[in-house]
Amino acid sequence: MAGICRNRLAEERKQWRKDHPFGFYAKPTKAADGSMNLLEWEVGIPGKAGTPWEGGVYKLMMIFPEGKLPLSHYPSKPPKCKFSPPLFHPNVYPSGTVCLSILDEEKSWKPAITIKQVLLGIQELLNDPNVNDPAQSDAYTMFKNDKAAYERRVRAQARENVPK
Amino acid sequence: MSSDYELSDNEYYDEDDDEVMYDDEDGSASEMDVDFRISPNTKVKSYEIDFDSLSQAQVEKQISQDVEDISGIFGVEPEVASLLLRNYNWNKERLIEKYMDSATAVSIAAGLALPEKPDSSSRSRATQSQPVGAVRRTTRRNTNEQPKSGKTKILERVTPPLDDQPFVCPICFDDSQTKTMSLQCNHKFCTECWNAYTTSKIRTEAEHWITCMAEDCKLVATDDFVKSALKDDADVFTRYQELVVRHYVSCNKNLKYCPYPSCTHTVSCPAGASKSALTTIVPIVTCGASAGHKFCFGCNVDADHRPVVCGVAKMWLQKCQDDSETANWIKSNTKECSKCQSTIEKNGGCNHMTCKKCKYEFCWVCMGPWTEHGTAWYSCNRYDEKASIDARDAQSRSRASLERYLHYYNRWANHEQSAKLSVELYTKTERKMEEMQITSDMTWIEVQFMKKAVDEVFKCRMTLKWTYAMAYYLEKNNQKELFEDNQRDLERAVEELSELIESSIDPESALPLRQKVTDKTVYVQKRNEIMLEDTANGFLEGRWKWNMSIDGFDEPTEYAY
Repeated sequence: MAGICRNRLAEERKQWRKDHPFGFYAKPTKAADGSMNLLEWEVGIPGKAGTPWEGGVYKLMMIFPEGKLPLSHYPSKPPKCKFSPPLFHPNVYPSGTVCLSILDEEKSWKPAITIKQVLLGIQELLNDPNVNDPAQSDAYTMFKNDKAAYERRVRAQARENVPK
Repeated sequence: MSSDYELSDNEYYDEDDDEVMYDDEDGSASEMDVDFRISPNTKVKSYEIDFDSLSQAQVEKQISQDVEDISGIFGVEPEVASLLLRNYNWNKERLIEKYMDSATAVSIAAGLALPEKPDSSSRSRATQSQPVGAVRRTTRRNTNEQPKSGKTKILERVTPPLDDQPFVCPICFDDSQTKTMSLQCNHKFCTECWNAYTTSKIRTEAEHWITCMAEDCKLVATDDFVKSALKDDADVFTRYQELVVRHYVSCNKNLKYCPYPSCTHTVSCPAGASKSALTTIVPIVTCGASAGHKFCFGCNVDADHRPVVCGVAKMWLQKCQDDSETANWIKSNTKECSKCQSTIEKNGGCNHMTCKKCKYEFCWVCMGPWTEHGTAWYSCNRYDEKASIDARDAQSRSRASLERYLHYYNRWANHEQSAKLSVELYTKTERKMEEMQITSDMTWIEVQFMKKAVDEVFKCRMTLKWTYAMAYYLEKNNQKELFEDNQRDLERAVEELSELIESSIDPESALPLRQKVTDKTVYVQKRNEIMLEDTANGFLEGRWKWNMSIDGFDEPTEYAY
């Protein structure tokens, strides 16, 4: 199983380098000794143009499970996606973890979903939050009660996340 | 009923019989039984309930019966019928209705057919929205004419891939894999990936509904496909079958899966299936795997909470969980302000208290108003003054409900505790039984009366425990008094028997002791039956009135507390 997990990730890396959507980046992290850690990727998701999220590139860590249990491996299980630092967004937990159906193995996760699809899915989620699955109260209550203030906050966050 | 029992008690006492267990069916027609023989021999006790225990194989048989029915009506393969049923939570009627309406829509929704793909298979499916006869004919023709095309079948396996290019599995990107599998959707993945995915779905997610691995593909794998994906890993497939059975059982309100770990038996108890029945009966059942697998068909608060019905048992446990510790602490550490009844903890300082809420000033010792204390600062000698007595009376009234609860709770907890100690009592009794075999020349079989007595004590303590929960909620009336009389008689008998069991034995007293214990056991057993029977009858007759509103029952006439 471990083999499948790493092969798949190597292939995902290859496909990504060949072609990936504009404004995104995704690269495996480096371990302390300089070797590549395929199980943990640092990715950036740009806010869509024409939305309050525009301008920002939001940093996210993708952690691919290679659990000690034989059956808890990627791609049987979805990667864990965590904004770092945590994002102000109704469907992002205070820890930064994204709550999205395609990232839930008991909902819509399928082994065939690629990293590109996951990232595009998260980008989609940014300006189209799912109010049925709130994950943090700050953003959720503001989104529900005061759209204008919510938008201001999102724009401020976009400014904070302009890539240098 | 109960008077019949009482009359026969004495006769039973005189009996000198090794057989302690009283049983209607044992045929030992002692004289006391005669009264009962008038009614049919198979008389069911009112605190017991009819139920059947089914093994997994028996449930599977029921399932395949349903599957065959559907398969026959729709003219589809049993595998497909099984998936259709699972998709409709085993509701045959609804499935048939919807399928007759639109077979295609049902098949697509169930993940058995591809949406809007104009190939031969969906066309042949589309024709199925005709009357039953036509459906059968169509499908038969299909299966007969193209037995190997695989198009009409759900399961399609391509081995090796037909393409010229070497196959690269989109999941593992391993191009050395030559064997692939796919469902009707033709999303091909290598067998290794299917194996890992299926195993993980079954093992770690307890899933019986395994869909294609492709994104957004809703097609579902048939049992045969699962089996081959698992590469005939018998253990995982067995688990898969168990999961299907569990799904079937959970969809049928007349069935319940045995809650004991790794038990695969099912209990069928139609009498206890409706919520309204739970106000009149206590459906305690036992699965066929072991007599110890006892559980309540109606709730999951306790394995056996007879004689109390589920609603009351649940309320009581909830209350104990919420209140017991707190109530105990409040009782021992606080007093109430004699004016506004706020609960106050004195954590230091002098006896001159000022209530934080109503600013009332009073003396902590006598509870009387501080103004009357005059100059007797910091020492109170006014305990008997009128104002102080009045203040304490008010306090004791507000304490009464707490005290009342604790009265019942402490007795409840006491029986619970004693029952927990029964393991210890068992080992002690076993030693005693061995000792008896040596000192007095009783045989092994002759000392078994001890074990029976211990068993009986345990059983009765469980009954008693729950009677306290019941008594707490019973409205004060004659019925409650009768109930508490029965409870008291049972409790006294149980305590006496307990004491007998614990008493020391010397060779001379062994025989009389045996006689005494045997008699007492029979008596206790009878008292327990009376308690259970009478309470159960009370529920059936709607005799019990409650002092607060309980789910499923009429509102109480007045709130006593």
